[in-house]
Amino acid sequence: STDSFCEHISVGRLSSCEDTDTCCISGGPQHRPVEQRDPGWKLFGKVPPREGPIKDPKRIQKTHCSSQISTSNISPFEDTESTGPGNPTSPRHSVRKNLDFEPLSTTALILEDRPANLPAKPAEEAQKHRQQYEEMVAQAKKRELKEAQKRKKQLEDRCKLEESIGTAAQIWNQEILPNWSTTCTSRRVRDLWWQGIPPSVRGKVWSLAVGNELNITHELYSICLARAKEKWSTTPAPSLETEAEDAGSSNRESSLELIKLDISRTFPQLCIFQQGGPYHDVLHSILGAYTCYRPDVGYVQGMSFIAAVLILNLDTADAFIAFANLLNKPCQMAFFRVDHSLMLTYFAAFEVFFEENLPKLFAHFQKNNLTPDIYLIDWIFTLYSKSLPLDLACRVWDVFCRDNEEFLFRTGLGLLRLYQDVLTTMDFIHMAQFLTRLPELIPAEQLFQHIAAIHMTSRNRKWAQVGCYRFHISLVWY
Amino acid sequence: MAGGSVFECKEYLFKVLVIGELGVGKTSIIKRYVHQLFSQHYRATIGVDFALKVINWDSKTLVRLQLWDIAGQERFGNMTRVYYKEAVGAFVVFDVTRGSTFEAVSKWKHDLDSKVKLANGNPIPSVLLANKCDQKKESSNNTALMDNFCKETGFLGWFETSAKDNINVDEAARFLVENILANDKGLPYEESNGDRIKLDQETVAAESKSGCC
Repeated sequence: STDSFCEHISVGRLSSCEDTDTCCISGGPQHRPVEQRDPGWKLFGKVPPREGPIKDPKRIQKTHCSSQISTSNISPFEDTESTGPGNPTSPRHSVRKNLDFEPLSTTALILEDRPANLPAKPAEEAQKHRQQYEEMVAQAKKRELKEAQKRKKQLEDRCKLEESIGTAAQIWNQEILPNWSTTCTSRRVRDLWWQGIPPSVRGKVWSLAVGNELNITHELYSICLARAKEKWSTTPAPSLETEAEDAGSSNRESSLELIKLDISRTFPQLCIFQQGGPYHDVLHSILGAYTCYRPDVGYVQGMSFIAAVLILNLDTADAFIAFANLLNKPCQMAFFRVDHSLMLTYFAAFEVFFEENLPKLFAHFQKNNLTPDIYLIDWIFTLYSKSLPLDLACRVWDVFCRDNEEFLFRTGLGLLRLYQDVLTTMDFIHMAQFLTRLPELIPAEQLFQHIAAIHMTSRNRKWAQVGCYRFHISLVWY
Repeated sequence: MAGGSVFECKEYLFKVLVIGELGVGKTSIIKRYVHQLFSQHYRATIGVDFALKVINWDSKTLVRLQLWDIAGQERFGNMTRVYYKEAVGAFVVFDVTRGSTFEAVSKWKHDLDSKVKLANGNPIPSVLLANKCDQKKESSNNTALMDNFCKETGFLGWFETSAKDNINVDEAARFLVENILANDKGLPYEESNGDRIKLDQETVAAESKSGCC
């Protein structure tokens, strides 16, 4: 069939098209002489190690005149053999591949006349076949070219991204961070910030943005940690028979056992927080120290994820300082103290903006009785670190550290906006499942576009005002 | 499936809660039951997670189980009250290797009964799961004690389960569903056609004899 013919063509032709591309983007200067003349055998553009023992006699014969083998580090086709017998003075030609060496598939589509023992085709039919043949080849070629261009673009995008991260890191290190107090609010920095903080400076920026309102020192961390350790050693390991079940405060203190249980369930796929993992003790220390620093709050599920993300970006003591200050933000305090009415206030404010921004989806949620407490709790308690891929979660944290709680709810709305179409086709249980287990691949740029498209004003009131307003109402009602 | 078929197929939608202390294996039991999977690496549940299990109960009955996997930390108590609404059955799970999680069972059961009831005012059917039985240290025989505990606390029965080794998970679920069906309180899945779905009481009564303990 035509289709399978085209497949053949496309496989066989691939390399010749790539060559043209390689010429364009790898250019000449990269060429360097390689002593080993034998370019290795090649199948569909893959080159095994040059020292490979396989030698095609025909190839050696044909390539003897090639004096250069060009390789390019930046070419997406770097595993493509690029040698040729062409004019050695021109890099372009030296990259050119001799099609004679192509594997069978290159010649899979050859238009031949009928064998002599058969009657010849009528001229008209022969002409028609020739035309069809050319069309097929042309089409296949076009497709290959397109694919090659697509890959080229992907690579260029990646290079661009890496380069921009490098440049951004430099800007953050050399221009922004040294003059933090004056630069941090500038338009330019805000734009850079939105694009994601380079991982190398992320921790520093988070620390600066979160601040240290609580004036926690490294020393205080050491003191809290020492107390926690003291408590661990005096608390007998929980045994089967006797386990104190005192009321009130001791429940908070049994935090210690909960911490132990949760640590191994924090980013288990990373395998660094589990027993024996490199960050197991650090996570344990920070969470333990916090229960001594704020015994009234103690350990609450969700904290282990927040501490873990901080540990991945900061030194232990600084991670603790950021942790305590983050949890001290009004929204986080409300949630981690499980202040039910205040949490409902937040949910209600969220719903105001939900309805305003996504009225259709909001109606669909209402019809299905899908309330924010079902999906927002996980998102807010873990600051998205459990529900989003880690790199994306970090980008959300970047802006959250700057814009505070408002950005958490805005992100939630951005997610709902991103998945609006699929959500509106689902019933309650499927929506609930979807939102409590988001897709593993979430397009970062798209998500941020959707977040940006969320308006955080409702009837001229901003997030905080809506929250306050609701809060007053709830005070009056209860 | 909807209407038009010769056989009258009844569809039920049941909301079932899975509760118990932190780390007793609630998520693991659900994963085992719904996906036939076990992993040592489940993440802590924050708030609530969901799973859906569709059961071809018999040739005329389809049951959709909505499983609500509720975070175990006591602190969330107030918050999770809303999750109990309209549940028609529950598993209370404890970890046989941690005594404290068993001591908390009464608390969970009490919490459950105080927050959700059947339309007739009775407590919703609940089953106690003694999970991680594969790690049990000694093979002490608590059967009589446990039976008695269930009677006193109002559980329909109890099962020793292991999500890891796939012990009794299906059996426990079947037992609970039988009892839920017997209560005839399932929400008809297709409410739109307005037909109240009537249950064949005899079948259920016959089936529910196959108890566990």
